[in-house]
Amino acid sequence: MSSTPLPPRSPAETDFPIDRAEAEHVTRREFAKFLCLLSGGMAVGSGWVAVKDKIFPPFTFEGERFVCNVEDVVFGATHPFTIQGSRTPFILIRLNDGSFRAYEQKCTHLACAVYYSPDKNKIECPCHHGYFDANDGKVLAGPPPRPLPHLEVSVRDGKVFVREPERKERT
Amino acid sequence: MSNFREAQRQAHPTKTNTLSLGIICVLILVLVMQVWLLTAALNESLDGNNAVKWPAFIASSVLFLAGAALLRYLPDPIRHARRVRKHEEASRRL
Ligand code: FES
Repeated sequence: MSSTPLPPRSPAETDFPIDRAEAEHVTRREFAKFLCLLSGGMAVGSGWVAVKDKIFPPFTFEGERFVCNVEDVVFGATHPFTIQGSRTPFILIRLNDGSFRAYEQKCTHLACAVYYSPDKNKIECPCHHGYFDANDGKVLAGPPPRPLPHLEVSVRDGKVFVREPERKERT
Repeated sequence: MSNFREAQRQAHPTKTNTLSLGIICVLILVLVMQVWLLTAALNESLDGNNAVKWPAFIASSVLFLAGAALLRYLPDPIRHARRVRKHEEASRRL
């Protein structure tokens, strides 16, 4: 092996070289270490996903909440509302057959506000043209990965109430 | 300094290149798997399925530790050359 004389360097000179070109040069070793750092970040991110619900439990509410009177929402119209104690926007939809549905207004793709289109009987997301079924909130087309979260609606004495749906326990 | 290692090095002078690139490829692969695990776990947990998030976290941590362990084998030819030179100088002084 040829022993080309290499200038002796202190660790400080290696980390902070005097020559500019040397300072900007990214070696493969550094790149590999950077990849490993990113990989650590991913592991931390997965840990965060695992403990997030323990640290910040998702908002839930007990019993029924009054939303509006039946006559306030005409056929094919939408009534926006929020639940007290939460800032999540919901929409109450009166379908063309007269039944009510309540969905979270945030698209499950990138949280754009969705709207109900009565002539298509679909819920649309204008951002990337995501479509949800107005009857059950399932994804019909576009990038959204999950159905729209919904609330259960009941109508009594001309008043519309919502409640949390039964939690699907899949743990 | 002539030993078996040295002979190997002379027979295959770009060995450290191959090794560096191999390690980088493995690390990129690890990263891609971790991105997939993270998005899958997030998606499932937002959908109310909590069965996936802990296994995904464990798998991601194991992948990270494996990648970190791989850094031990990352060649450092400059430091090696310096060490060889120091050794040569020391034996010349003797
Ligand atoms: S945010 Fe709704 S489709 Fe992208």
